[in-house]
Amino acid sequence: MSDSQVIMKDETCSTANGKSGSMESTKQDAEVKPFTLKKWNIVAMWSWDVDCDTCAICRVQVMDACLRCQTENKQEECVVVWGECNHSFHNCCMSLWVKQNNRCPLCQQEWMVQRIGK
Amino acid sequence: MLTLSKKRKEDAARRANNSLSSPQTSDNSKRASVRDMLLNKEVPEMDVNLPSSCTVDFEDPNKLHSFKLIVTPEEGYWRGGRFVFSIHVPEEYNIVPPTVKCLTRIWHPNISEDGNICLSILREHSVDGTGWAPTRRMKDVAWGLSFLFSDLLNFDDPLNIEAAEHYQRNRSDFEAKVRHYVERYAKS
Ligand SMILES: [Zn+2]
Ligand SMILES: [Zn+2]
Ligand SMILES: [Zn+2]
Repeated sequence: MSDSQVIMKDETCSTANGKSGSMESTKQDAEVKPFTLKKWNIVAMWSWDVDCDTCAICRVQVMDACLRCQTENKQEECVVVWGECNHSFHNCCMSLWVKQNNRCPLCQQEWMVQRIGK
Repeated sequence: MLTLSKKRKEDAARRANNSLSSPQTSDNSKRASVRDMLLNKEVPEMDVNLPSSCTVDFEDPNKLHSFKLIVTPEEGYWRGGRFVFSIHVPEEYNIVPPTVKCLTRIWHPNISEDGNICLSILREHSVDGTGWAPTRRMKDVAWGLSFLFSDLLNFDDPLNIEAAEHYQRNRSDFEAKVRHYVERYAKS
């Protein structure tokens, strides 16, 4: 079970791991040298909760090739599509989904393509 | 749960060995499908997030796309019953939802006597936003099914109209029939 949980954390942008790791080291630094307080700010500014541009359909980052293209070795052809709602997905993933339901899976608005590219 | 993850671990090890000895993929299957890769993440996630009333049963741990979810409601009309749902995840997952059947005969407004289920997230096409979406995961399906016995129990939009009307007409008689079905079909 533990190995699969690690995989899941990867998928959610390793929120928990990343956070506790960097906090801890900063805390230690702070104990040694109180003036590294600045560093605290920097760490805190990394907002780990923001959506990290993961395609909500295949759950791979949109800047990487989608799961389907990865399995079929077509990484080069895989592009990103942005909707009018500003949500982005792999174009491959979204073109499959709109055949099923012409709505953004994240906000349920009618899907209108704003831009396709990399 | 433990057995399943252990089995998967062994399988992974075996696959790794296989690929070392023979570079081409094994004879019996093509490359892992998108569905299988999604399930490799979603099934363990479902395992650790299962409602307390549920267990899962994989007949073949190599086939994550076909398993049973057993719901034993702790309270409500169907308490003490053991309801078995067969879940099949089609090749086109997660563009389409899993297909689910209730294998245990039941008197329920949202489950027909032959096992069809009315649950919004399992609906493939929906005009509003309540149906299946690829943002859903297997754990949502498990929770949705378990909630059919509590929060999502819906007498106003029934699939088994007779059962819903029975409830409106005579609640205690409805409950008696539910209990009769539980005793007769949902005990094991
Ligand atoms: Zn994608
Ligand atoms: Zn792609
Ligand atoms: Zn959207």
